[in-house]
Amino acid sequence: MSLKQQLANIVGSSQVIDDAVICEGYAKDQSFVKGKPPDCAVRPQTVEEIQEIVRLANRAKTPLIPYSSGLNLHGATLPANGGIVIDLTRMRKIEINEKDWFVIIEPGVTYEMLQDAVTEKGLRLMVPFGVPPGRSVLTSYLERDVMLAAASLEYGNNLIFDAELILPQGELLRTGCWNLGGRPGGFYGPGLNMLYKLWTGAQGTLGIFTRMIITVQHFSPQRRFFFIPFNSSEEIADIVKLIQRKEIGCECFGLNRFNLAALLTDEWEVPRQFPAAKKPSAQFDIVKKTLPAWTIIVGITGSPYFPEEKIQYEEDALRELCKEMGRAVDTRLPGFPDLEAVFLRESLRPWGILKKFNYRGSVHDLSFKVPLKRIHEVETAIAAGAQKDNYAAQDIGGYFVVMERGRAIHGEFDFHCDPTASEEKDRVIKMWLTASKDLMDKGALFDRPYGDWADMVYSRAPQYALKLKQIKQEMDPKGILNPGKLGFKFQKTEDSCQNSE
Amino acid sequence: MTQQKKVIPNKLPGEVFKALEAVVGKENITEDRAIVETYSKFGIDISGFLKKHAKDPSNIPACVVLPQTTEEIQKIVRVANRHKIPFVPVTNGQLGIANMPTTPAPTLFIHFSRMNNIIEIDEESMTMRVQPYADYAQVQAEAMKRGLWNGGTPLATSLCKISSQAILAGLWQTSKKYGTIGKNIVSLTMVLPDGEILKTGSCAVEGVDDFWEHAPGPDLYSLFRGSAGASGIIAELTIKLHPWPGKESLPEPEPGRPSIRTYYDERYDKADPPENHRLYWIEFKDLESQIQALREMAHAGIGIGLNAAGVYNSYYCSPTQELTLKRVKEKFFPAYNLYVISACFISEKQLAYEEKVIQRIAELYGGRFLSSEYKPEVLEALRPWNLDCIRHVCGYRMSRHFYLDTWFCSGVPDIGTDAQKIWTTAINTVGETYITDRGGVDDTPFMYATDPAGRNFFTEADVYPNGLDPPSLQKAQQLMLFSIGRTFGQKIGPGVTGFGATFEPFTSFFPEMGPDVYLLLRAFRKVMDPNGVCAPGRSVFTEEEFKQFPAQLADAINRLREMNGLEPIRVPGKHE
Ligand SMILES: Cc1cc2nc3c(=O)[nH]c(=O)nc-3n(C[C@H](O)[C@H](O)[C@H](O)COP(=O)(O)OP(=O)(O)OC[C@H]3O[C@@H](n4cnc5c(N)ncnc54)[C@H](O)[C@@H]3O)c2cc1C
Repeated sequence: MSLKQQLANIVGSSQVIDDAVICEGYAKDQSFVKGKPPDCAVRPQTVEEIQEIVRLANRAKTPLIPYSSGLNLHGATLPANGGIVIDLTRMRKIEINEKDWFVIIEPGVTYEMLQDAVTEKGLRLMVPFGVPPGRSVLTSYLERDVMLAAASLEYGNNLIFDAELILPQGELLRTGCWNLGGRPGGFYGPGLNMLYKLWTGAQGTLGIFTRMIITVQHFSPQRRFFFIPFNSSEEIADIVKLIQRKEIGCECFGLNRFNLAALLTDEWEVPRQFPAAKKPSAQFDIVKKTLPAWTIIVGITGSPYFPEEKIQYEEDALRELCKEMGRAVDTRLPGFPDLEAVFLRESLRPWGILKKFNYRGSVHDLSFKVPLKRIHEVETAIAAGAQKDNYAAQDIGGYFVVMERGRAIHGEFDFHCDPTASEEKDRVIKMWLTASKDLMDKGALFDRPYGDWADMVYSRAPQYALKLKQIKQEMDPKGILNPGKLGFKFQKTEDSCQNSE
Repeated sequence: MTQQKKVIPNKLPGEVFKALEAVVGKENITEDRAIVETYSKFGIDISGFLKKHAKDPSNIPACVVLPQTTEEIQKIVRVANRHKIPFVPVTNGQLGIANMPTTPAPTLFIHFSRMNNIIEIDEESMTMRVQPYADYAQVQAEAMKRGLWNGGTPLATSLCKISSQAILAGLWQTSKKYGTIGKNIVSLTMVLPDGEILKTGSCAVEGVDDFWEHAPGPDLYSLFRGSAGASGIIAELTIKLHPWPGKESLPEPEPGRPSIRTYYDERYDKADPPENHRLYWIEFKDLESQIQALREMAHAGIGIGLNAAGVYNSYYCSPTQELTLKRVKEKFFPAYNLYVISACFISEKQLAYEEKVIQRIAELYGGRFLSSEYKPEVLEALRPWNLDCIRHVCGYRMSRHFYLDTWFCSGVPDIGTDAQKIWTTAINTVGETYITDRGGVDDTPFMYATDPAGRNFFTEADVYPNGLDPPSLQKAQQLMLFSIGRTFGQKIGPGVTGFGATFEPFTSFFPEMGPDVYLLLRAFRKVMDPNGVCAPGRSVFTEEEFKQFPAQLADAINRLREMNGLEPIRVPGKHE
């Protein structure tokens, strides 16, 4: 029986897709990562179906690539060796626990769906800035996407609770209190306190998650946003440090003028596909000119009891601190009276910034972490490197989010490129790789090593890479789960059931 | 009575001893019987006590070695690998069950008392790098001088070691805000069981600062936390620090003081809360309203700590055991209560705001504030907590009368009700060994919020058998097993411990966990410890080790399983 036939026996023939155009689609995203079209895609809906597919892939020794929304934008779901894409987009169940403030979600649940569902109940999902509305929440959390509220130790970090997954050889595993099959409500265990963390940042190479519990927060109708303008990133660290040491606010992040202008450009829309169509905008250029080099954005949120009072004392402290430091702080920027409304919206549905894709069509970021004090040094290095390659510094999009009260920042600096212009693309790829290496040389942490970053990073962490490989080998001896990622190679054997290489 | 016979501890082969001596020098290694015996006296440890009564030497290490550097640890471990000698990393040994030798074979204890330095403090990234024997008191004293702190202290007192907590428990009274220690580790430098070094966190990458908790890709810290020292040795670790709103110092605990039966020191027993902190105590009429209020307090987003204390109040707040017993009998402390630790980071207004919220929620659930008007004498008696909520010094008062085992559970706030039901059934079925075993029956089981919005509470009930009396110890053991069995039968909580870690024989005999998480743990063990020398069989048995498991004990566990509606487990080679 053919592989396709066997898959059809599991999920029904209508859920096995081998249409060449669709399969091509699974092998492309907007990143520089190159994929190889899968032989087919299969769309299961239940845990049992997934288990059977995993076992079949093991028997057939064929790569199996977990796919939940395909919107990671860094190539994490592109098959490196063909094989079967296991498309989980049909798994879209949401269960909201209003009493204890968590949700049980399946991999196909998107940010837009979930935020709509929970805000209706007076709750709020924590979100990373700039995710597409259709992005899978489950995989985004699993890949350690950094939440906009990461400055707050409590509400922006470690938000995963119990989980359910299928191991690379088909066994089911539950973590947290759920591990005994009863009531969920924790992340400890089984057997090791934080077992679930093994699968974070794993790009689907160590298991397929079928359900996850993530925590949601109180959604206060009373929230405020404040803006602190800077002419250079040089002065940012000092003031952010002071604000954070006092634990003022929930969100704290920075946008450079390129990114803030992109967000504020009404002529642009949030693209539905990536890469997007390039669309010149005169408004973007004008807005960019009027904005400060960097804007630091501080969000203060109310609570279930006396929210105004809480906001007031935080606001008072923020204003006082800025006054002492001789810094302007307000709920608007000169020329942008409605800025607060924009961020009240974007802090819940943060996709407006994706308008930046209109600039050249595709966006290639440097996504890394450094201590807060290094923000200026890092920005300067990125700009200098780009200029050497004739890429204008003012065309670099810049965003960073403060983590854990100023311990570190997570930065995303973007190079833009027209994917249809091959010369430009070649130049930006080269520049992006050079910049990545340069940042790594300077000690930036690329803790989610997508695409080419994997080899670059793991060559600097040989012992860690070795242990990962040994663990992968034990868990997935046939190497079928998303091979090619994190430096895990697919060993094609004679009886491997895939068409080439 | 057990018969009088001499206990002859195991010995290492002479060549092994010599090889180890060459690593650390004569001064830092011993197999002297009197000394190794003292290294086999642990805190929470019923089975250890029973072994002593039975004159069973398997609890006593053959040799104790005291390394001073990471390189020495590596060398020691390599010698052990070469000669297949089991070894166990040990710090204070308070958590006995997690320390004793795991096989009857001669075992080496690697003790870290010579590695107690703070290596580095990075004030900007708010991190501190320490050696394995650094304790909470030390860490806090240095951090607070810099306007920072580590986020909490276990009731095990501030003398327990950060490394052992990073590997196993690490639940704090301030875990509501800061989480358990698992959320507070930046990096570990592990000496793996084969002697290789593995770093977790950002410093796993050469040239990257030690500032962030994730190395690239999958997080291997997950394989060490909860392993109870069975997947390697922490040679150095970096912890997170957080903004500290208090003053530069707290009163220091004095070495050795807490286990003196009648110790009393006004500085601790009448302490005020640290600067910019407040402690509020609220009494409730029953467990149900207490739990509802706990949930609501957590949802309100106030406080750095949120907990409910039952019989612990009578221990921690009473300088003598006589007073403890008197207060238990008189039901002096509120049976149902909660306390909030409130801290002011932002301004004075924050404290006023939080107090107002706490008052409102207390009213909603019929709670009464302990105050100068209502039960002032009780509030006065509770004063040791004022300091102990940040720096714990009175914890050992619980060990005055053989605090010898603990039954844990964790989950959503309703876990408090489940815990009370299970523990009450256990006490009613098996019987109590001491009056304070009734903590959690006649009052609230201890409950700590370990999540900022109170989605998860850790809960605990304890036994205090007479350590000199084997039947009493056996009864305490039955109480433990009974409640663990119940927890599995009812599918509540994460497993054997409320914080997820699992010890054999539970890992193999309760394959409900995961399910079959033991297979995964075996796979990890194979990678980390190919020669099976690091606390072998503590966290998970290999298939071979499982086959060796005594049939009689297997049958006893299977009876427990059947009592709780679970199928018996077949031990390969025994039941087939
Ligand atoms: C009265 C009392 C109250 C308690 N309350 C709490 C509480 O509130 N919260 C809480 O979390 N715990 C509590 N405990 C338990 C507590 O966790 C442990 O007692 C504590 O971790 C013991 O510290 P220790 O330094 O004595 O560790 P040990 O008991 O010596 O060691 C614990 C484990 O760590 C391993 N280990 C030690 N050093 C290393 C190393 N360098 N590398 C790898 N593994 C190592 C050991 O092998 C062992 O498995 C309490 C205990 C008592 C007696």
